[in-house]
Amino acid sequence: MNSSVPPWRSTATAPMARNSTFPTNATPAYIPVQARRSLAHSTTNTTNGSFPLSGRQDSPDDESRKRVEFPPPVRSYVQRCFAPENQVASVSIPEMQEKLKHVITDAAENNKLGIIDWERLPLPQVMVQNERNKILANPASSHWASAQPSSPGNATRKRKSTDGPLDTGSPPWRSANPSRFEDRVTHPTTEKKKPRIAVDQSSKSKANLEMRRKRFDLGKGQSPSSPTGSPARSADADQGPVVGRCQALEKNYFRLTSAPNPDTVRPLPVLSKALDLLKKKWKTDGNYGYICDQFKSLRQDLTVQHIRTEFTVTVYEIHARIALEKGDLGEYNQCQTQLRVLYAQQLAGHPTEFKAYRILYFIYTRNWTAMNDALADVTPEDKKDPAVKHALDVRSALALGNYHRFFQLYLDTPNMGAYLMDMFVDRERLSALAVMCRAYKPDVNIRFITEELGFESDEQSARFIIDNSSAELLEEKNGAVRLLTGKAGSLFDQAKAAAHRVVDIKGQI
Amino acid sequence: MSSIATAFKNAYINGSGSDLAAVLTPIAPAEDPNRLRSFYQLSNAASVSLDLPYLLFHGKGPKLPKAEQNAWVDIFVVYWEAIGEVLKCEDRSPGASVVTLFNTWKKLANTLIRGYSGSSSLPAWTLPCLYTVGKYMRIFAINADLEVASQGTAVLGFQEEVSPDVEKNANLEEAARVINRMFTLCLSDRAALEESRKWGIYNMTNLLFKIYFKINSVGLTKNILRAIKASAADLPPPEAFPKSHIVAFEYYVGVIHFLEENYAEAEEHLTWAWRMCHRGATKNRELILTYLIPCHLVTTHTIPSKKLLTQFPRLEKLFRPLSECIRKGDLAGFDLAMTAGEEEFVKRRIYLPLERGRDIALRNLFRKVFLAGGFEEPKDDQPPVRRTRVHVNEFAAALRVGTPTSGRSRVDIDEVECLLANLIYKGLMKGYIARDRGIVVLSKGGKAFPGTGV
Repeated sequence: MNSSVPPWRSTATAPMARNSTFPTNATPAYIPVQARRSLAHSTTNTTNGSFPLSGRQDSPDDESRKRVEFPPPVRSYVQRCFAPENQVASVSIPEMQEKLKHVITDAAENNKLGIIDWERLPLPQVMVQNERNKILANPASSHWASAQPSSPGNATRKRKSTDGPLDTGSPPWRSANPSRFEDRVTHPTTEKKKPRIAVDQSSKSKANLEMRRKRFDLGKGQSPSSPTGSPARSADADQGPVVGRCQALEKNYFRLTSAPNPDTVRPLPVLSKALDLLKKKWKTDGNYGYICDQFKSLRQDLTVQHIRTEFTVTVYEIHARIALEKGDLGEYNQCQTQLRVLYAQQLAGHPTEFKAYRILYFIYTRNWTAMNDALADVTPEDKKDPAVKHALDVRSALALGNYHRFFQLYLDTPNMGAYLMDMFVDRERLSALAVMCRAYKPDVNIRFITEELGFESDEQSARFIIDNSSAELLEEKNGAVRLLTGKAGSLFDQAKAAAHRVVDIKGQI
Repeated sequence: MSSIATAFKNAYINGSGSDLAAVLTPIAPAEDPNRLRSFYQLSNAASVSLDLPYLLFHGKGPKLPKAEQNAWVDIFVVYWEAIGEVLKCEDRSPGASVVTLFNTWKKLANTLIRGYSGSSSLPAWTLPCLYTVGKYMRIFAINADLEVASQGTAVLGFQEEVSPDVEKNANLEEAARVINRMFTLCLSDRAALEESRKWGIYNMTNLLFKIYFKINSVGLTKNILRAIKASAADLPPPEAFPKSHIVAFEYYVGVIHFLEENYAEAEEHLTWAWRMCHRGATKNRELILTYLIPCHLVTTHTIPSKKLLTQFPRLEKLFRPLSECIRKGDLAGFDLAMTAGEEEFVKRRIYLPLERGRDIALRNLFRKVFLAGGFEEPKDDQPPVRRTRVHVNEFAAALRVGTPTSGRSRVDIDEVECLLANLIYKGLMKGYIARDRGIVVLSKGGKAFPGTGV
């Protein structure tokens, strides 16, 4: 099912609005975008020695004394980083220092030392942890999940969009509040990590922080991807749409913290050429890091110019599909949320295809409140669409525990839904095995498991059973391998509970 | 002499919070329909701040400290302004705007908050004023959002990713922010309990929850619940609060658990609310039952009685067809009833738990198969024993009953086994499937279908 050619690849060029009448000040006054992020990346190498914090191997006090112009909040932040009660076992001191240096260098270079809300900025050890969790929880990069991610340097490179400037460069009202950010990330061992994640030490100041946060954050919704809350927004929104003048086809993504500069924004005709280029590059190179970054800047340029046309829909759809294929659910979810708004404005595109994904996505994240909303969105007309119908059937089969039906549907998934279903199919296999082991006595043929649970071969199902329980449950009888269901006890229940515990909902709306 | 000023003085002298709150309403009382208008006409924008001190505190009025007096004057100045907007809207005069009304009313709320938090520190018995002002702020905000929507002015920020509902509920969210300040004002009061604003905590919470549910941000309720939990030690016990506050609060907490599929907890809170709810509050009782009935179906596998449903015609329409199909084990009918009610169920967010009723319907159907299986050959004088070995085909036949002949699909034996396996796993049926022999071996001795007598 995965081998089918993804739809956007077969389409030669999207029927985008390449209207020449777009009001562009086509002056080639092109000012190259500062390659800011790449600089931030290499800070560890380039600024070594010259940067004041390089001597940070000494005690934190030394460090803050060396450069007196660091404002007190920065100094106290650094002190908190080294405080024993804030140490995280899984993040070594050098790793933490590396990150800290990165954060402070970045802030200093961008003159943000005074802007960042150091009180609320997550500690570097927490940032490192979060980044890892993101990668860990991302099933697409399973080699990360299996191997202990001991090199955060590499890990961060995986998703550029979350690097440096994102974490530190944003103004205080946008800087991810630590506990808030935590809400979005489910840790494998939540219980244990929670106390460490709280930035402040005493529970009293935590309560204060809570109050404070409520005062500022209320009403922005929980949605981390809607930072356009009221205070920041009203000031900026007045400036109206920008008309870009940039002619470059490629542009790195940089999250805006002030009004956009028209010289670095590309107008629609350039953007549509850029999209063609990106489609070509994705086909030839398949470099997801690059593609994702480019798409983000493409989306940003569309947003700042208030372009909401069929072209916008096309961009989001393609990005969403690519993210799906790569299992980048955070990015996918951003696109999905935005697409929902765009579809509501009747801008063509493929609304039913994405409604189906949305339902599958909520099955994966097991967000029942959102699922209810998604169901409310489905019109009788939508239900006739094969993809939507399929997704609804999948949902109902799972709700009733009907694994038989579920795996039939799994083997026959339209569009790219299989990428989403792959993410929870093993989880459901464990659930089904738990049921089977309780209901069938004394044993069943492995062939039956293979057929019922959509495995490709008896070997694969045997392997799955051994990986998740114990080899003793399999026995050969009369030339056939049989699963000793009567002896499984609660083995699969445990495996099922463990599998259901880890659900990544980064970027969740 | 304005009747508003008189009402204010009397309420203050009697120390009656509810009377005082009744003064700060944007709706004229039935017995004095012109009260607002005459109040507004007493003064004008230029001199209102001079007229009010005289009106409120001159003559036989309450003797208050200066700071407290000033606080009330500030409040009533904004109230006067707001009444101006109310009247404009009522008269549909040009320039009338609910958004302006909302903003003025918001100003009133903020002035009131300042009155409590500043040096003037209004006494806690006046808290009902917060309730009233908050309540109307919510209503005005909803109407303001409607007005904005009807004018179709969507403003886009330059930042990426606009959330779908952000534009729609801007004013209501603003109201939530202000009410959240009221909430904090109540929660953080350190005065002795008798004079504490803590008594307002649940009323403010309920108001906030109402908004969060409306703007589809149920997640935000977590923050509030956490804050209440954090200071639970300093709060009076829930029983000490007015029942009206607590019943609504418990209802909301129940529904929040309900939405997260924590049906056991949900049932606990909802049952509490159900027991404490005022007998005459039909609408509230109906709301509680809307969630309590599906909850019960999931946790105890029981359906509502006829007697209960007949008291609530709306609920009867909602739940009766489903309940009947569950009782009879009529799967096809159940599916039809779910489809028929789907829109309403989804709207009330009860679709997902109700769907689980299918298991109960299935259990009842299979139980009939078991009963139809009759008894084993009687042995000697032993009491008759039911036949506990039932062929999977018999269950398959039962599933086929009721599906129309034309659309009768081949019932897949594997699927029947899957359904049986699920019932066994969920404890609705006791026994096991012996797959090689194609039979189900059920428990003997009246334990095959626990809780149903056989």
